[in-house]
Amino acid sequence: MLTIAGLNKTYPNHKRGLEAVNVTFAPGVTAIIGPSGAGKTTLLRSINRLITPESGSVRLGDQEIRTANAKALRKIRHRIGMIFQDYNLIEELAAIDNVLHGCLGGKTWLAGILGHYTAAEQARAYELLAEVGLADFATQRCADLSGGQKQRVGIARALMQSPEVILCDEPIASLDPASTQAVMTLLGDLAKRGIMIIVNLHQVDIARQYADHIVGVNQGRIVFDGPTAGLNDAALAAIYAKEAVAEDA
Amino acid sequence: MPNLYLRQTARRRWLTLIAALGLLVAGQLWLQLNDRQAFMGVWAGLAWLVHNFTPDAAAWHDLPTITYQLWRTIVIAIAATSVAAIVAVGLGLAGAATTGRIRWLRGGVRLFASVMRNFPFVAWALVLLFSFKQNDFTGFLALFLMTIGYLTRAFIETLEEVGGGAIEALEATGARYWPIVIQGVLPAAIGGLLSWVLYMIENNIRDATLVGMLTGTGIGFTFDLYFKSFRYPSAGLVVVTLIITTIAIELLATHLRQVLTH
Ligand SMILES: Nc1ncnc2c1ncn2[C@@H]1O[C@H](COP(=O)(O)OP(=O)(O)OP(=O)(O)O)[C@@H](O)[C@H]1O
Ligand SMILES: [Mg+2]
Repeated sequence: MLTIAGLNKTYPNHKRGLEAVNVTFAPGVTAIIGPSGAGKTTLLRSINRLITPESGSVRLGDQEIRTANAKALRKIRHRIGMIFQDYNLIEELAAIDNVLHGCLGGKTWLAGILGHYTAAEQARAYELLAEVGLADFATQRCADLSGGQKQRVGIARALMQSPEVILCDEPIASLDPASTQAVMTLLGDLAKRGIMIIVNLHQVDIARQYADHIVGVNQGRIVFDGPTAGLNDAALAAIYAKEAVAEDA
Repeated sequence: MPNLYLRQTARRRWLTLIAALGLLVAGQLWLQLNDRQAFMGVWAGLAWLVHNFTPDAAAWHDLPTITYQLWRTIVIAIAATSVAAIVAVGLGLAGAATTGRIRWLRGGVRLFASVMRNFPFVAWALVLLFSFKQNDFTGFLALFLMTIGYLTRAFIETLEEVGGGAIEALEATGARYWPIVIQGVLPAAIGGLLSWVLYMIENNIRDATLVGMLTGTGIGFTFDLYFKSFRYPSAGLVVVTLIITTIAIELLATHLRQVLTH
């Protein structure tokens, strides 16, 4: 269970990212939707503390993330996979190398530096590449892969962590419809295997099609939180509402 | 990136040469306008140069000495560049916005690189001469100090080309700093880094000749010696071997660079 309580984030330029956010993520696929600048990325990155909120709590199981020390943070990050809109792979390296990077967080410092991967880890990396449909691309430089293929390498890297949660920040924003379907279906399958999937999306129809739960964000606040079936027109209007008062000014 | 830079440098080198020749001719014309005799003097001078500096039989006799000194110069240039490269990787990592974790150190490294770079190596050589006297180590040190400045600056830029996003993705896996740098950042940047090292080696062999004249070592000193003792054909042979060597090394470096970056 991933629980967020009373979370606040204000950026140094006084822009409000999150305000008193309370939300509990359940197993399955949860889509976070909301207008641009609503705070979706801020919320997602607060979970593995790529952004540190000023106050509130983020708990995975009984581990508090927001205030964890460096060592504890690395441990918890290893339990949480992440995929990105721009894939964020080391493009010059082969697909398999990037997948293997997923186990760096579970290694000793020296093994990490030496890049010493066990036979089991190597076998697992190949297995995962096959699972995301890239068995034939293992030794291909990532720079030479298509966007959809890169995103699947990113997913394989996340899976290499054997994560409890995978965070996805607009994973399909740069993909064509066929790749979108492949990636979203893959994420759905992972959720069925018990990995909690939290995904930021811009397209409501995609969210409806693939998500079990929806979290709606507007102006740094949670304005909707419930099963996908409950996402009616009123809820959508609230999520995508422009604030009447020009508060930014 | 380096390729574009190199092409520009090559063009700039030619432009400089042409401009220098132009200035020379213009200067001559301006000083002795209407003096056909003086203008002819340029040609006479060139003819004198070609006549006297053409290696003769006696000069070929000096070839073993010349190649030995040339070899020493090349070794010093490569050694100075390699040692500087190792130090510059560390400085580059500390100075790059993506990998430098300590803000004041980032600024410090950049400042250091810029100071070192703008202090001409001829000045280094002269300063170092006082403390280290005439020997190979002085030449090595002068090249080393100048190269550090250049390579640190170039490495910072090359390392920063490895996107912050890719580094952040590795941080998000729970990996520590050095595993991220060694397994992620350096493999991504290695082609660019080596390309800069080759470029500096190429440059340093040329500069080492000049440094040698000042520090009394290597091929530069050999040239100086022949020149001052009026053994022009031997001095001419030094120039010819130097030209052949630098061109050969430039071709080799260009080839290696292509292999590395593609
Ligand atoms: N690094 C930053 N520094 C300052 N302000 C920021 C920063 N990142 C985000 N913000 C601001 O915080 C608010 C929330 O941004 P966030 O990126 O979380 O929105 P988002 O919902 O992900 O938007 P999008 O759909 O466009 O990705 C915005 O007003 C944004 O301008
Ligand atoms: Mg966003």
